[in-house]
Amino acid sequence: MTDPHPLLEGKDITKSHFENGKEFKVLELVRFELAERDFVCVVGPSGCGKSTLLRIIVGLEKPTSGEVLFEGHPIRADDPQVAMVFQSFALFPWLTVTQNVELGLEAKGAPPEERRKIARKFIEAVGLTGFENAFPRELSGGMKQRVGIARALAIEPLLLCMDEPFSSLDPLTAQNLRDEILQLWANPELPPKAVLMVTHSIEEAVYMADRVIVLSSRPGRMVAELEIDLPRPRNRKEPEFYGWVDEIYSLIV
Amino acid sequence: MDGLRRPLRLVAGIVILAGLLAALAFPEAALNALQLPLLAAFSTTRMVAAYLLSLVFAIVYGHTAATNKRAAVVMLPLLDVLQSIPILGFFPAALVFFVATFQGHPVGIELAVVFLIFTSMAWNMAFGVYEALTTIPQDLEAAAASFGLRGWTRFRLLAFPAVIPRLVYNSILSWTNGWFFLVASEIFSAGGTEFHRPGLGAFIAVAGRNGDVASIATGLAVLAAVVLALDIFLWKPLSVRSERFRLDTATGREIPHVPGPYERFRWLPRLPRLRRDVFARLQPAADRYHRLSHRIDQAYSAHRKLVREVRLVDLAMFVIVFLIVTITGLVGLVQLFLRPLPSEAALLPMAALLSFSRLAVAYGIALAWTIPIAVLLGQSERASRYLTPVLEVFASLPATALLPVIIGVSLVIAGSIGTAAQLAAILIALFSMQWYLLFNLVAGVRGIPDDLRDAARSFGLRGATYWKRVLLPAMMPSLLTGSITAWGAGWNALIVSEYAQYANRLYVVPGLGSLLNEAVYPTPNNEMLILTILTMIVVVLAMNKLLWRPLFKRATQRYRLEV
Repeated sequence: MTDPHPLLEGKDITKSHFENGKEFKVLELVRFELAERDFVCVVGPSGCGKSTLLRIIVGLEKPTSGEVLFEGHPIRADDPQVAMVFQSFALFPWLTVTQNVELGLEAKGAPPEERRKIARKFIEAVGLTGFENAFPRELSGGMKQRVGIARALAIEPLLLCMDEPFSSLDPLTAQNLRDEILQLWANPELPPKAVLMVTHSIEEAVYMADRVIVLSSRPGRMVAELEIDLPRPRNRKEPEFYGWVDEIYSLIV
Repeated sequence: MDGLRRPLRLVAGIVILAGLLAALAFPEAALNALQLPLLAAFSTTRMVAAYLLSLVFAIVYGHTAATNKRAAVVMLPLLDVLQSIPILGFFPAALVFFVATFQGHPVGIELAVVFLIFTSMAWNMAFGVYEALTTIPQDLEAAAASFGLRGWTRFRLLAFPAVIPRLVYNSILSWTNGWFFLVASEIFSAGGTEFHRPGLGAFIAVAGRNGDVASIATGLAVLAAVVLALDIFLWKPLSVRSERFRLDTATGREIPHVPGPYERFRWLPRLPRLRRDVFARLQPAADRYHRLSHRIDQAYSAHRKLVREVRLVDLAMFVIVFLIVTITGLVGLVQLFLRPLPSEAALLPMAALLSFSRLAVAYGIALAWTIPIAVLLGQSERASRYLTPVLEVFASLPATALLPVIIGVSLVIAGSIGTAAQLAAILIALFSMQWYLLFNLVAGVRGIPDDLRDAARSFGLRGATYWKRVLLPAMMPSLLTGSITAWGAGWNALIVSEYAQYANRLYVVPGLGSLLNEAVYPTPNNEMLILTILTMIVVVLAMNKLLWRPLFKRATQRYRLEV
């Protein structure tokens, strides 16, 4: 390693809300590191502050104490090296698929022809060729999230952050999309260099991640950090798979 | 009663302070101002009477149109026409009718004023009732049917609650319209004579004619205090409470929903204790209402056949009245056009164009300042906290009441009387239009979902790109809603803005509004009156059908925020 800094580093992140002078702790002393080619999932019961953690990691919220370093510098919300995929897709309803995918490139000031070229590449990568000029409301939930993923990949980020990207989808669509993301991830030619995903589904975390960070419920504290060493592609029916799921379950409950 | 005292003291404090300052500055006007509380009471009573009439009308009309498909065929287009024509166009005609019927007796004039305010309130409320009833989710209708809800029970448990949010929302709009008309109608000329009913509006108008600055200021202060007090004690609690009845089909995720007029009240105190007090006091009335409605339910199911017959008779009477009005109207029109047109009719096209251009200029100015301010207010909680109260005080004054101030200011700015009249006409239109735009736009900016804001931020959208890709598209639907209401108000303002009196002088500019006035006063000219009203109706209906409706449809399809 020539670079002394890890790609992403969380240092003792603590977040509190204050209401009528009373302090409500949401997150307490969460710390972690992400290196290149890391696929990390954060799991925890609902209300454990994992979405807040992700918002802090991408710089949309400030922690009460602690800090997040990206390549050794404090993170900024509009860092073009970090892209975000939302649970609710967060597509702009008045923009076409292509325009949505081009959004980050447009913000960077890329020329129109280049934007179009890159957008086409990633629309193809997520299997939406033929829907370039459709509006989000004309797409199914699964297709909308594909647009969300293409939009995130199009800025060719080093780090991809996903906030429960499959929870708004039906189980079948969700499983297909998981496999497709893993396929994209397996191709080192394509961005990103690392993935951080928040989910409440333990199975999903074991299925996808190299490493799982387990949070306790309110306030969110780190309970464990587990290296999932199952070979890929993973099979949900194998006893080893269930061994991991059961272990994480017992940590949370 | 603590909850009541503090805000009461606040309002009283403002009034007393303003009064004292005015009295010190202008001692002889202070005497004049002593009658103001009484005048304010007169004006408010007129408003309440017109509002109660409108409420009953709106519920009956809207409910009938929503539940009776055959009646709706006639009722909806009629409402559509009534809603889109500038009612102030009928202003002289209606007055002539009431004054003539009661032979100039004050009761007739009083009725005319209430009727005019009614026409500015009723249509949009009736439409709100109809729309709310027809958009009740199907599941809810089915559930009501499966539990056997019918007649009065169905109305009480399903229809009325479903209507409440829209009714409150539209009532707030209606009151704003009402104040505008009240001020314009307390003093008016018809059939060559001038009529005068005591009230705040007349007080301000008379002060304006005499150029009495002190009386104008005190009159405006009292008017603002009355409007703001109503906002605090009536509309704010009602609109907060009505949110409870909103039929949201949204899933778990919370989507902030802030409709236009509520936006105005964000800064007002919520007064939880006062509300608890008032509602506790209303409890016996509510109990009585429940016992009564139980009896009505029983009577209803016991005499189902009678109810059906009464309804049929009702419908028949409505159709007959409708036919009589339409036929006499048509006959009148045919008679009008059989005779040669009066020579002044040649003025109409140019007048329409001039009026339109003036409104367009005012609209442009309104857009130019409301869009940036709305973005500021919608995005910065701090700016909103400090600026909204100031804007709300200005917005609480109807443009008709501000007339003397506007003309005074125009005279200072413009060199000649003619330029001042033009400037004043545009400014009055501006003041009638801008608040509808502003408060709708603020609601639009606030309505942008958090996840879209986050996405825009995390993808680094800033400056011009942020405006183009996020702010402007998100504001589109509220911009159009605001524009439609604003233009409606603008057309209504014509009759005031193009023909105004200030300090014993007339400020007239050529246009449809001044033609209307000249057809009534000093020498009545019924042919020109009808022709001008017709021109106005044609222009406004054409704009609504050819411009606003298609734009609105497009905008709501394309820029709607739920994906």
